[in-house]
Amino acid sequence: MKRREFVWAVGAGLLGLRQPVRLSAVPSLLLPMDDAQGDHLKAYGVTYRVVQAGIKAEWLLNYRGGSFLLPDGPAIRRDAALAGVSVEPVDEAQVTAIRGEIEASNMDAVPLEKAPKVAVYVPPNAPPWDDAVTMALQYAGIQFDKVWDFEVIGGKLVGYDWLHLHHEDFTGQYSKFYVIYAGAPWLAEMVRFNTDAAKRLGFGTVPDLKKAVARKIRDYVTNGGFLFAMCTATETLDLALAAERTDIAAAFADGTPMDPQADAKLDWSKALAFTGAHVEPNPQIASFSDIDGHQVNAGPRRQPLGAFKLFNFSAKIDPVPTLLVQNHRQVIPDFYGLTTSFLRSRLKPSDVVLGDEEGAPWVKYINGNHGKGTWTFFGGHDPEDQQHQIGDPPTDLSLHPHSPGYRLILNNVLFPAAKKRELKT
Amino acid sequence: MRLSSRLPSRSEEWARQSIALKGSVVLGPTFSLGILGLILSVLVVRPLRAQAIGQGFELERAGQYDQAAAIYLAALRADPTNLSALLGLERVLPPINRLGELLPAAQRAAAASPSNVALRGVLLRTYVALNEPDSGRAVALRWAAAAPGDEAPYREWAMALEDAHRHGAARDVLLLGRRTLGRPGAFGIELAELSQLAGDWEGAAREWAAALTDAPVQLPNAASALAEAPDAQRERIARLLTEGTPSTLTRRLAGELLLNWGQPLRAWAVFEPSVATPSADAAFAARRFADLAGARSTPDARRARALALARYADLAPEVGGAAARARTDAARAFIEAGDRVAARAVLERVAQDSNAPPDAQRLAQRAVVEALIEGGQRNEAAQQLATNARLSPDDRASLRLRLVRARIAAGELDRADTELARDSSVEALALQGWIALYRGRLREAQRLFLAAGPYAGDQRDAVDRTTMVALLQRVPDDSFPELGSALSLLAQGDSLRAVAALRLAAARLATGESGGGGGGGRPDLLLLAGRVAARLDTLQQGTALALFDEVVSTGGQSAAAPAAELEWARLLERRAQTAEAIRHLEHLILTYPGSAVVPEARRELERAKGAIPRS
Repeated sequence: MKRREFVWAVGAGLLGLRQPVRLSAVPSLLLPMDDAQGDHLKAYGVTYRVVQAGIKAEWLLNYRGGSFLLPDGPAIRRDAALAGVSVEPVDEAQVTAIRGEIEASNMDAVPLEKAPKVAVYVPPNAPPWDDAVTMALQYAGIQFDKVWDFEVIGGKLVGYDWLHLHHEDFTGQYSKFYVIYAGAPWLAEMVRFNTDAAKRLGFGTVPDLKKAVARKIRDYVTNGGFLFAMCTATETLDLALAAERTDIAAAFADGTPMDPQADAKLDWSKALAFTGAHVEPNPQIASFSDIDGHQVNAGPRRQPLGAFKLFNFSAKIDPVPTLLVQNHRQVIPDFYGLTTSFLRSRLKPSDVVLGDEEGAPWVKYINGNHGKGTWTFFGGHDPEDQQHQIGDPPTDLSLHPHSPGYRLILNNVLFPAAKKRELKT
Repeated sequence: MRLSSRLPSRSEEWARQSIALKGSVVLGPTFSLGILGLILSVLVVRPLRAQAIGQGFELERAGQYDQAAAIYLAALRADPTNLSALLGLERVLPPINRLGELLPAAQRAAAASPSNVALRGVLLRTYVALNEPDSGRAVALRWAAAAPGDEAPYREWAMALEDAHRHGAARDVLLLGRRTLGRPGAFGIELAELSQLAGDWEGAAREWAAALTDAPVQLPNAASALAEAPDAQRERIARLLTEGTPSTLTRRLAGELLLNWGQPLRAWAVFEPSVATPSADAAFAARRFADLAGARSTPDARRARALALARYADLAPEVGGAAARARTDAARAFIEAGDRVAARAVLERVAQDSNAPPDAQRLAQRAVVEALIEGGQRNEAAQQLATNARLSPDDRASLRLRLVRARIAAGELDRADTELARDSSVEALALQGWIALYRGRLREAQRLFLAAGPYAGDQRDAVDRTTMVALLQRVPDDSFPELGSALSLLAQGDSLRAVAALRLAAARLATGESGGGGGGGRPDLLLLAGRVAARLDTLQQGTALALFDEVVSTGGQSAAAPAAELEWARLLERRAQTAEAIRHLEHLILTYPGSAVVPEARRELERAKGAIPRS
């Protein structure tokens, strides 16, 4: 049985104890993450705040849906009660039994020791759609900062442990909304805002700016950052990286048409996850490339939604993917996004597939390493809004406290908190 | 992200229709009747060509654009003027970046059949899509010269430019066409749409107003399109349409827009002159305005609807009873709008109309009694019920119950009781329950409410009775006149006196003066008083806060304590004292974990902290 040394930190007062103790000797609270949990999403927030206070917690991978083990204490109980998070006090004998079960099964106990500093990439004048990740963070009560091009180009990413990208088009083509929303005031404002930013940062065009931002983000990952991207950001980030010296933006974005030989000139060695993709040559088709399997806005190419299944991994041998797929549901209904899924044939061999639709040529959830850092890509826009449209009201997560899709997002938020030496694979 | 809401371009629509032909050959107008052998050979060849085109369609549907293109090109080699094949190439070549191959085929087709309008259109669109404006212009102008007075060349040219998102150029083409054809109203709808796309809403309004002269049936489309104008543009549009002496159609357009934008009375003022002159068209327009106004439930919208219906009644044919029915509808609408004077005036016309059909008369008679009840003239209403032979038995029964409800609400309990005599329906039981309650006979009221069950009245009535039963269960007394009086004041809308009376009743409970066990139900009465006071002015809200405080402090483990703390937090939130509200909500959740109001409290807490969107 592994023992974890429990070291006092700033939050000692929270437990009301004054001497260093072993976790197993302190009464503990189990936050079950199976169907016994009253609010799965807020459970991540309770755990995050415990770790943020300098108190060590443990993530029990594959034990009752990926439960958390926290030291017992009045402040933690209070936080859980206010959040509606179910807790089960466990004494030393029970903890021992839990550890025994973990040892004997495909489970593992991963210490969580440092709350990551979280940044979300979002423009200051938020466009008329929602970001599932910021909603999850707000609901769970996890603090985050907003960053945009100015901060990224200015090198501010180094101050963050975790970066999220969502509905951003790093090819600089405004998500190709010109095709559908030409004339809309918010689109005109988006164009003006981005053009102004490009000028102020010394770039000739918006695509050039976005490519530079993409490179900075890649460097952030190379230097050890954790990147979590959803929706359009997944596909367009890699397209921007691969097209470093190639014009893949339509004329409405940079005044010049796309390079007709673009496909042959893309350098996929510079990308994170994808390779060999074909860029969409027609500016009037609302699709970026054939990376996306569902092609939601490309007319007759659009594919219907199914459900995706999370893979099982060996918790002790592959703790990272195991951690990222912790859930109380194995099969999750799919949901659209401008990039909904990723064609298998466009993945790099080193990509780890965390979830896919059985029998379909695409996958949903992937992860990989780059340099010292890690990236995770999750297709789709909002796990609880399958057919999200611009202008729709934001999802009220209090109505979806057990959302398995949102759990995957929050797995990624806690991932950087896991003790590094436990995560080597 | 959104499913493409872009409407298909005309060329795409035409292409879809062509696909729908599914394998049949579209004969060009140059199909010639030659010798019999030639006819027979064509008749033999035609099915083969149709089969080939059909294969092309199937390949296209399967997304195999290269193979489909090969089929279409082969068809064109056999027949350069094959329109289906040309349209097929127009669809499949752009996605595979080979649009340039369409040009020679389109040129050959147009050269082989110069008078074929469809082929001209393909050539023109191809030039525009390939960004060859001079060549496109030349084709369009040649077409226009060959067909003077025809709008089609300019329209097709503009649509091609629109498809290429060159809206400014499309607008220029349409204006050129307008000048060349000498028709100031030509292309009004297209120009309106382009103006709208460019954000020129006033321009769009001007174009729509002009277009209506030649196409009055476009009024609903014009109203629908202009209704999307941003808030900042609406007043300008309204002024533009109503300045000077607007035409009838322009007035109607302005009226519909103002209705849509939440100004129903102004809408009626603008609209009314357009239906001043009797005609079938005016009657239809008035009815349409009334229907549109009926979609809104504000008092002004109801009044506008009533006015429109009254006008429609004047325009509708008397024969068949349409006018009488319309007057009855107008009277109802006036009642809903609170204008009983106008309602009576309209109803009296119906009542005096001996030619009105029986059902319209019946409706009018019923509406008269309803108006009397709503207007507080309950004795006159009772008189009508007793003497008016033109009321049906069903109407009489339902109106009597309605009158009883009104008497109860006005505190006329004895009269209400008398009018309910010998009525054993569930509706009557429910009303007798209220009478008993306001007289302070609590147990009797409870018994009657339970006997009436959940089906008397509507859902709101059922909820009100259930709420009262829950309150009465906590008060130990069988008889409590002070509580009855307090609740009666509340029912009459005298909230201020009701709050004081409820507090007095609660005090009597505490001291045992009420005659019962003493103390039971006191927190619930104080909670009710607090809820009422919380809806009043700032001073009374202060009273509410004090009452909630008292219930929480003294309520112990009663259900009233957490409920009072929730109301307390809600009131603080409304008063922008969010931090205080959060503190109370947290206290509630932690102190009363088993309370039924905890889920609500948690949601309020999340909203207060900004963790979920306000909705």
